[in-house]
Amino acid sequence: MSESGVATSKVAGTWAWFFQRLSGVLLIVFLAVHLFASHFMGVGEETGQEPLITFEEVSIRLDQLFYIVVDYGMLSMVLLHGLNGFRTVLFDFDMFVKRKRVVDVTLWVVGIATLLWGIVILLPFIMNTGG
Amino acid sequence: MKISSFKWLFGRNSEFWPTNMKTGMWAWVGHRLTGLALVAYVFLHLSFISTASMAEGGADFDLLMEMTSQPLFVAMDFLLVIVVIYHAMNGMRVVLFDLGIGIRRQKLVFWITMAISAVLIVGGLLAIWHLIFPSGGA
Repeated sequence: MSESGVATSKVAGTWAWFFQRLSGVLLIVFLAVHLFASHFMGVGEETGQEPLITFEEVSIRLDQLFYIVVDYGMLSMVLLHGLNGFRTVLFDFDMFVKRKRVVDVTLWVVGIATLLWGIVILLPFIMNTGG
Repeated sequence: MKISSFKWLFGRNSEFWPTNMKTGMWAWVGHRLTGLALVAYVFLHLSFISTASMAEGGADFDLLMEMTSQPLFVAMDFLLVIVVIYHAMNGMRVVLFDLGIGIRRQKLVFWITMAISAVLIVGGLLAIWHLIFPSGGA
């Protein structure tokens, strides 16, 4: 790798490296909770049919602060990990290395905008008190 | 990226030409490809759910859940399972190496993580098999 100058982690930086590892490990935990809660925990009524995820059910789950923290925490980590991973791929292939600042600002804007979007998306579920 | 550098990166003499790649490079390439696919998936996931919660009382969301429980969608979910498990397991391998664990046996560690991945993927397939191939009745 080093011979051709590709994949120089020096370009991406130490903090990017560190948070990529941290968010990656956290995502495995978040994903486990996310999947288990969505697909295995008290899904659907005992109708004899294949249980479907319903708006009602997700709303009831999101009455608990724990799941709000899990969902928003997971989204934050996904965006951090995904966009930082994308940044690493760009720099690995020598793309926009001279425009690093532009790449960084763009990805932060995309990340924060998407996080806000995600927060709004979940609000109807959180606001619905069920019943 | 210029055409010339593209050839330099991916051409016959490059380190990315399949016959020039060794185990670690395959793992690296796989991690990049699955990573990019997962970023695309996350945005798809968000946009699906955002359109779903528009209608009052979540009627659209329930319709969407009904649609995405169709066999074709569950089969695509299985592709997602494969991609996620590979990315997570290979990621754990990377973290281990960063901690200085197993570097000297890096090929062995790679195949162990791939063996665990295979078991998890088969487990995932068994768990959703009946949703992809529903047999009469339901």
